Amino acid sequence: MDIIVNVFVTLLTFLYSVLNQDMVLAIIVFTVLTRLLLYPLTAQSLRSSRAMQQLQPELKALQEKYKNDREKLAAEQMSLYRQYGINPLGGCLPMVIQLPIFFALYGAINFALAATPTHLLDLSGRLLVPGLDNVIPLNSTWLGMNLAQPPNISVSPIGFVLIGLIVVTTWMQMKLSMPPQPKPAPGEQPNAAQATSQSMTTVMPLMYVFFGLSFSIGVSIYIISTNVAMITQGLLTGQSKLSYLRGIPDDKPPVVVTARTESRKTSGAKALKDAKTSSDGKNKASSEKSGSKAK
Amino acid sequence: MKIVRLLRRFGIAAALLLVLMATACVPLPTDTNWGHVTLAGDPQQILFAFHDRIVLINPQDGSVAQLRDADGNIRYDDQNNPRTWTLPISPSATTRFYSTPLFTANNMYAVSYDLKLFEVDFANARITNGDAGIAISGHVVTDPVSDGQRMFLGFSDSDLVALDMTDLTSRLWSFDTERGIWAEPLLVDGTLYVSSMDHKLYALNAETGAELWRVDLGGAIADTPVLYNGSLYVGSFARKIFRISLDGQITAEYPTTEWVWGTPAIVDDTLYVGDAAGWVYALGLSGDGFTPVWSRQAATRVIRATPVITADAVIVASRDHKVYWLNRETGEEIRQQNTDAEILSDMLVITPEDNANLRESLLIVSTMANDKLLFAFSLESGDLRWRYAR
Repeated sequence: MDIIVNVFVTLLTFLYSVLNQDMVLAIIVFTVLTRLLLYPLTAQSLRSSRAMQQLQPELKALQEKYKNDREKLAAEQMSLYRQYGINPLGGCLPMVIQLPIFFALYGAINFALAATPTHLLDLSGRLLVPGLDNVIPLNSTWLGMNLAQPPNISVSPIGFVLIGLIVVTTWMQMKLSMPPQPKPAPGEQPNAAQATSQSMTTVMPLMYVFFGLSFSIGVSIYIISTNVAMITQGLLTGQSKLSYLRGIPDDKPPVVVTARTESRKTSGAKALKDAKTSSDGKNKASSEKSGSKAK
Repeated sequence: MKIVRLLRRFGIAAALLLVLMATACVPLPTDTNWGHVTLAGDPQQILFAFHDRIVLINPQDGSVAQLRDADGNIRYDDQNNPRTWTLPISPSATTRFYSTPLFTANNMYAVSYDLKLFEVDFANARITNGDAGIAISGHVVTDPVSDGQRMFLGFSDSDLVALDMTDLTSRLWSFDTERGIWAEPLLVDGTLYVSSMDHKLYALNAETGAELWRVDLGGAIADTPVLYNGSLYVGSFARKIFRISLDGQITAEYPTTEWVWGTPAIVDDTLYVGDAAGWVYALGLSGDGFTPVWSRQAATRVIRATPVITADAVIVASRDHKVYWLNRETGEEIRQQNTDAEILSDMLVITPEDNANLRESLLIVSTMANDKLLFAFSLESGDLRWRYAR
């Protein structure tokens, strides 16, 4: 982990040195660069979770059909995933891989800002490019606040603004990237994945209030920059939509899952067909609404 | 519905668990500080400023010194317990001492990192200017200096100020540096030589604060210059040791492996200094420039403390937990002692001349761990004599 932190500390210090020794600008550019670097992982994660959402009706049908045979259900689900080329962990694995990178970035910002003499001493030996020593210590004062310290909201209103921005951008980023789901039919159980993601949309921004009060201002700026970068990235690539904010689902959602080939269809497809014919009409309705039929 | 609730809880719990696990793997900057030791009292004892308190330690056995009256009798409190010399200064949880207290003829002055200046009646171990101290305008990580009339305080984020010793709330002058001061200024014949984190070494008129000259050393300067044979010697984060004339010209420089944070020690025309990579350098000063005598990587982590020089050895302490005795002529390791705790503070030597109750000279080493804050080693043999824990 140390080596990742050292690379990030070096990159951040380099950006600081070429961007007129402006730490905030360096953090923003640093964030944009890391988002670009992590784009393949983010895109894969989004694709995967969308695909899982679109397969929900079929999965539900299988659950109904094999509700008394867990082993068979698991086998048929795996068969279905194989048929459509989906890795059920494909949505969370890229996110899990990103976590240590996020924390390395968090560590790098704290090391680079060096709030106390001990912090500055911790920085020695982490700069992989010798010439960068000449900008140490970095200027960590911004709008009268110390970027290395948490915001003092009793002294400066800017702290409030920062925390507000964290909450708003986190909520927007999550909301814009999640297509609104139709409400379950009367008597129908809500989709578990959908319920979890909806609760996360509420819980995560609130958790960030706590983060914003505890983390240094530099880290808060990093979180805001990350959210803005992810929103922009999502809108540019079509993975996020402004209409989701108003709860309007896609007219024709992009088909992100297709069966691989006819010849590769396995017993899973047959089971799916059986399941569809045997299930009652309520699943059919939700399946048609979500428009996720495999072509 | 139960399954949905369970899944939701599981999802949130799993996310939090992942966050915790990832956090545990990432190195984060440490936020403890290092203590400072100095000699104080008569007979001299060890005054130790660390974290949020200051204590006086008996050098014979490492116990907290007892308060005595003018006749040398132990003083007792209301419950008839012997009073010890302890100054718990904790007006706020953020109080930290990064500097050694300053002594004048009558008083002791302690400056904390959280913007407080305490005036202390040393004989009675009492703060005399209110428990909250005097508010000052910047963080202090360096020792204050005085010329008797003025107290010179360097702030870690900006300027150097001169305070009137008769009224410490009165600022006589201030001198602004861009990145602050992290090293004790050197006061010689009315001139202050001030190292700054803005890469410059300044010479100031101590009376007026007027700048006499400045020299850019290419990297932050966190150590105090040493005056020796009419030149100043100082290291910087530019990974160099410099010799500077008293009119501000760089007359010689020598490269090091990493940042130089500790103040050099100079004995018999040889300069000894450690760097942040654990290297120790012995450089001859008798020629035009620096003449390498020996250099070696003695430790695996930063050496911040100024080396202690004895007749035969150069003693260095490192953040790798160890104290090393090196042969003064060759740099070869003679012995080492492991303290199992990080060492960043300057060491202290106390001799029988300082305190007649001592039978030998002791090397006092301060660490950053509460359960082993001070170690006393025999200066000659390196054997452990006592240990002090909070």
